[in-house]
Amino acid sequence: MLNRREFVMGLSAAGLLSGFSKLSLAAPGTGNRMLVLMLRGAMDGMDALRPIGDSKFSALRSAITDHADIGFKISSEYALHPSLTYANTLFQKKQLLPIVAVAPPYRFRSHFDAQDCLENGTDKPGGARDGWLDRCVRAMPGSEGLALAAVMPLIFRGGGKVTNWSPPLRQAADDGLLQRLQTLYANDEVLSENFAKALQGEQGGMADSNGMNNAARGAGQLTSMMTAAGGFMSKANGPRIAFVEDTGWDSHRGQAAQLKRKLAELDAGLKAFNNAATSIWSQTVVMIVTEFGRTAALNGTAGTDHGTGGVMFLSGGAMSGGRVLGQWPGLAANELHEGRDLRTTTDMRSVFKSIAAKHLNIAESAIENQIFPNSKNIRMLDGLI
Amino acid sequence: MKIIQNSHHALNRFGLGPRLDEAEKLRDPMAWLNRQIRQAANAEKAHFSVLPSSLDYLQRESDYLTKRVKQKKADNNMPSRDVENTAKKKTAQQIGFRRVFADAFKDEFLARYTWAATTPSGFRERLTRFWSNHFAVSLDKRAAALYAVPMEREVIRPAISGKYEDLLIAVARHPAMLRYLDNVASMGADSRLATRQQARNKNNRKLGLNENLAREILELHTLGVDGGYTQHDVTEFAGALTGWSVPRPRQLVEKKPTSAFAFYEQAHQPGTRTVLGRRYAESGEAQACAILRDLALHPSTAKHLASKLTRHFVADQAPPAMVARLAKQYLNNNGDMSAVYQTLIESSEAWDLQYQKLRMPDDWLVAAVRVSAINIEAYLRPSLDVLAKMGQPTLTPKSPAGYADRAVDWSGPDALFKRVQAAQMLAQWVGRDRDPLMLAQSALGPELEADLSLSLRRAESPQQAYALLFASPAFQWR
Repeated sequence: MLNRREFVMGLSAAGLLSGFSKLSLAAPGTGNRMLVLMLRGAMDGMDALRPIGDSKFSALRSAITDHADIGFKISSEYALHPSLTYANTLFQKKQLLPIVAVAPPYRFRSHFDAQDCLENGTDKPGGARDGWLDRCVRAMPGSEGLALAAVMPLIFRGGGKVTNWSPPLRQAADDGLLQRLQTLYANDEVLSENFAKALQGEQGGMADSNGMNNAARGAGQLTSMMTAAGGFMSKANGPRIAFVEDTGWDSHRGQAAQLKRKLAELDAGLKAFNNAATSIWSQTVVMIVTEFGRTAALNGTAGTDHGTGGVMFLSGGAMSGGRVLGQWPGLAANELHEGRDLRTTTDMRSVFKSIAAKHLNIAESAIENQIFPNSKNIRMLDGLI
Repeated sequence: MKIIQNSHHALNRFGLGPRLDEAEKLRDPMAWLNRQIRQAANAEKAHFSVLPSSLDYLQRESDYLTKRVKQKKADNNMPSRDVENTAKKKTAQQIGFRRVFADAFKDEFLARYTWAATTPSGFRERLTRFWSNHFAVSLDKRAAALYAVPMEREVIRPAISGKYEDLLIAVARHPAMLRYLDNVASMGADSRLATRQQARNKNNRKLGLNENLAREILELHTLGVDGGYTQHDVTEFAGALTGWSVPRPRQLVEKKPTSAFAFYEQAHQPGTRTVLGRRYAESGEAQACAILRDLALHPSTAKHLASKLTRHFVADQAPPAMVARLAKQYLNNNGDMSAVYQTLIESSEAWDLQYQKLRMPDDWLVAAVRVSAINIEAYLRPSLDVLAKMGQPTLTPKSPAGYADRAVDWSGPDALFKRVQAAQMLAQWVGRDRDPLMLAQSALGPELEADLSLSLRRAESPQQAYALLFASPAFQWR
């Protein structure tokens, strides 16, 4: 007779394989990890990574950019925002790779729709009810995903072996109560499976949260979550894919002060993750994404409005960094998208595919047919790993 | 299909759950619901009348900021370019703000939750919460923070049974929304103010339009994201909205304003605006009003609101026939929401047990408080805290789209585990003399099944039994 934990895990594994019986699956035990950090609210790519090599940049952004302190010049064309000190250190160590003029394949500037599109991994919002990270987990048998969020984000929805976690309440759980509840929840069609997973976590595994909570105490929100992510991912049976999200990037007004602060938080978060994940850093890719960039020009309130092409940062010991990829489309009026935004020249999915194949070792057939269906025309971006 | 109209269903599906014995005393569920649709709500008004108005808050905030400026000038000897210090300074300033206004926030939350915990008009309360989430303003934006909770009671509560266009306009004019979505700083590129500032401004900074409010009104409050508007419509509408603002600092310092809304002619973009193919002549403040009235009555708006209401009260997958029925009622009655609510409560789908909705943390906590008569005033602080940890800090969705309204968003393993933890906390706040089985009967009525009953009887202590009730599957659904 299997104990409760084994029984539940057995069920999950069976569920995993049924959808993929005809496909070759990823080789297990490679140990490569991926952390996706999603910045909700549309981070301004042109402020995070200043295109100093474009002659139009200065005029467009002079009101909010202190040219005396343009940031860290990582090439003749680009400079990292002054708040990104640690990111610059990583760049010098070839462990940071910015990609410019990149966005999900969506063009209508609604945060919610664009985030949906990014997370569902198709060419439009609502294009799938599940998320591409969940589909990745389903293509990696024996692997698990972890969302560090109070509410499961779309990117990880879909029934794969994924859990979510957020810092716990101080209240210790009463075992007798849990046992009685388990019987009741077994009869609830909708909630039984997740309730069982919740109890499974309670017994050790994922939810050894007190340690994480202590480590992260006193730090900012993003830093706490990144520290926790690093901790969870470093464990022997830890998740191979994790997800962290951050808000507060929608800089419609007074952008200079807002991004100075937010980018400093991002930088601190990246450092915190590295510190918590030193044992696996060399096998890890950190993918920092946002749903779109912002307008090339400033608006009437020293900020920017929703745009199109943005920047993406890849980091981690597994990266072949120290350069900037992507095709810069230019900032002249006739080069902008609808005369206002940076054009997109790389579909985000080409980066996702490349990492899934080259770093997570997922078979190309699974990538093209299951994870990113109907995207044969989106070619993998080369040379990332 | 299993359609049952009884008191428990009325109180749970349309309300925030019964108070002890409330279901027994409710003879006629339909009549109870009907009364609330067109209720004058005098007791409700009285409950909230003790609180300051938004205008009072604007005044207090202005006084605070004036003091702050003086203080900063006095001790500003150390300019710091170090990013960490700047972040700390900013945090210090924010703590200053939140500390200074801590009592105000506490009073607002207390009024909100004591009313929710004791109101006999649960349907009105649900409707208020629904519209409040529809017109979401988030407390995490400091400029809007003082006005978010007031907006719910000043503008939404009194207007839920009227015409949607009136509610829409009242919200768009409220300081909470104007500040939250940056309209207070928006000005027309050709406005007098922009032209003057351009001439004076040495940095040649372009001052002008902020599209945020216009976009969110179209996308979230009216037509919906697929409702058929274009970028051009957003820009034009934003132009019409320029000038819609709050009293300026100087007016507040001189204590002159009589309203929390002020229209600034000087910031208004002059000229005709074209939105959704219709032209709106220049008419100052009235220009945006005219656009809002047309948006309110657009068929896409009818469909959008009907979908949201159905999804909120009936099922995550809104039954299409019901959505169509409500949308039709809305348009046939020129956006009169009472007519829509009437159709809502008369729809068989709303009483059909095959459909169920998961209680979001805030509603869940209130349901537990109501049935067990927890002294919410004594436990306000930890209640707010537990809601934040469950993922629903009060009125802080961090997005104008509000909190998600589907089971899948609130029922992940960690979320369910937190409900158990929270249930244990709440159980400790219940008075000792409450019979757990009686509470369960009161809360669930015919939905109290044998297995839960048995579990309650066999609980190790009354406290464990209360926790069992609050954490049970039956208590999560309505």
